Amino acid sequence: MAGAVEKRLEGQPRAGRVLPAFALVGWRWVSRNPVATIVPILLPFMFLYFLWRISDPRYFPLEVVGAMLFTTQNIGSWCLSDSAYWRIEQRLQDLFVASPMGKVRYLFGIAFSNLIPAAPALAILAVILAWVTPVSLFGWLMLLAAILVIWVTFSAIGLAVSSRLVSPREVWPVGNLIFTTLGIISPLYYPITILPPVWQGVARFLPATYAALLVQDALGLRSAVPGEMALDAVLLLVSAVVGIGLALRLYRWRER
Amino acid sequence: MAFGLRWAGTGVFCATEIRVQFHEWLAILTGTLVQAVLLIFVWVLARDILPIALIGALVYSVFLIGQRVLNEAAYVRIDHKLNELYHASPMSPEAYFLGMSTGIFLAYLPPILVIAVVTIVVAPFGLLPWGVLIACLLAVWSVSASLGYFISTLFKDMKTIWPYSSLITNLLGIVPPVFYPLHLVPEGWRWLALVLPTSSATALVNGAAGLEVLSGEDVLLAGGSLAVEAIALFIFGIYWARRAAREA
Repeated sequence: MAGAVEKRLEGQPRAGRVLPAFALVGWRWVSRNPVATIVPILLPFMFLYFLWRISDPRYFPLEVVGAMLFTTQNIGSWCLSDSAYWRIEQRLQDLFVASPMGKVRYLFGIAFSNLIPAAPALAILAVILAWVTPVSLFGWLMLLAAILVIWVTFSAIGLAVSSRLVSPREVWPVGNLIFTTLGIISPLYYPITILPPVWQGVARFLPATYAALLVQDALGLRSAVPGEMALDAVLLLVSAVVGIGLALRLYRWRER
Repeated sequence: MAFGLRWAGTGVFCATEIRVQFHEWLAILTGTLVQAVLLIFVWVLARDILPIALIGALVYSVFLIGQRVLNEAAYVRIDHKLNELYHASPMSPEAYFLGMSTGIFLAYLPPILVIAVVTIVVAPFGLLPWGVLIACLLAVWSVSASLGYFISTLFKDMKTIWPYSSLITNLLGIVPPVFYPLHLVPEGWRWLALVLPTSSATALVNGAAGLEVLSGEDVLLAGGSLAVEAIALFIFGIYWARRAAREA
């Protein structure tokens, strides 16, 4: 009997449907809860307003880039929340595990569905960035690449952590603690050079640091020595691969 | 009797709430994250306004108590339906509201005390500013707890509550001059900052500590608004608690 079911499942198409399905999930969240969608993306704007009030105006373009990367990084926190809610409260993960869809497609689908609510904020910030500083085509490409790498890496971290939570009441504090702390240690909103040496050293272990440095180099927001930009790009990829690898090891797809 | 207050059960419910909240130590710990982030921003980018930001962090931390009251009151009512049990007991509605608000305030006091100690180290003030600070924090607590309790009764689903509570706390805590000085706000908008509970409290303490220069009119506007908001909202909170108990 089980063999017959397996055989029938093998006959089903397994590719090409996950992204549209999860895109629909993401869009439903936006259309049904406009306030719930706006509020999480407001925080980077509020930080930006606060920084605009207190800091040197020449840092503003750098802070806009920081807000874009911080918003992208926060997608990890939303992935954590969604994944934990589906698994703990709604027991939906059991359904996904039993379905022909694999673990990686499920994870990528959640990450994709959470990218959709963040997209309007990223678009608005991109307009602000283009308004406050000239951005070349190369600059946009580097920014896009950095956003993609940060999105995949932090979504993987969020999903991995979510699989270890046991109560829905842990979701908010754990997500907040991890992603806010990581967002502040990385020099997203300020130049790395003005941070104390110990802080700079710790920040060098985080992928978002290299994403920020890479984009700041590409946009001419800091004076990097030749070759430094390539090194930042390589270190971003290396730290992302390490982060994703650790996340995949930590992630628990099936109940034991 | 209609306007008389009945406090039976306040102390017991307050103690219960403290115990409940201490089980959520991670939430207590992470309750100061936004303040920590803003203090780090100030420390890195504008260290000269750090004393003002620390006072802002204290005011914002107390203002966040309202958000906790909102979450807890909604959780007890929506998820557990426990409020019906409490209201059927000899405990009065005002004791339910006040016991919950005070219990949450006391449970969340340790991180606030840590910020207070840092403030003492970074910017040692005299007795008068500390007196003004304590009075302002109590007023902010009254405003936020009453507002939080009221909002908690307006929703039927836990998932729809948090965006509103988050919006209110961030809009009133980060945008107005709570973590930064009042003089950075354009002159035409300062009256608004002096009317809002969070920024009026911060302005009054900053003025008393000599960190900002406030005119007599500014002090009157900030002090008057804060006092009226605190008293009016507390009375409204009691009224609403009784009404909610009748409807339970």
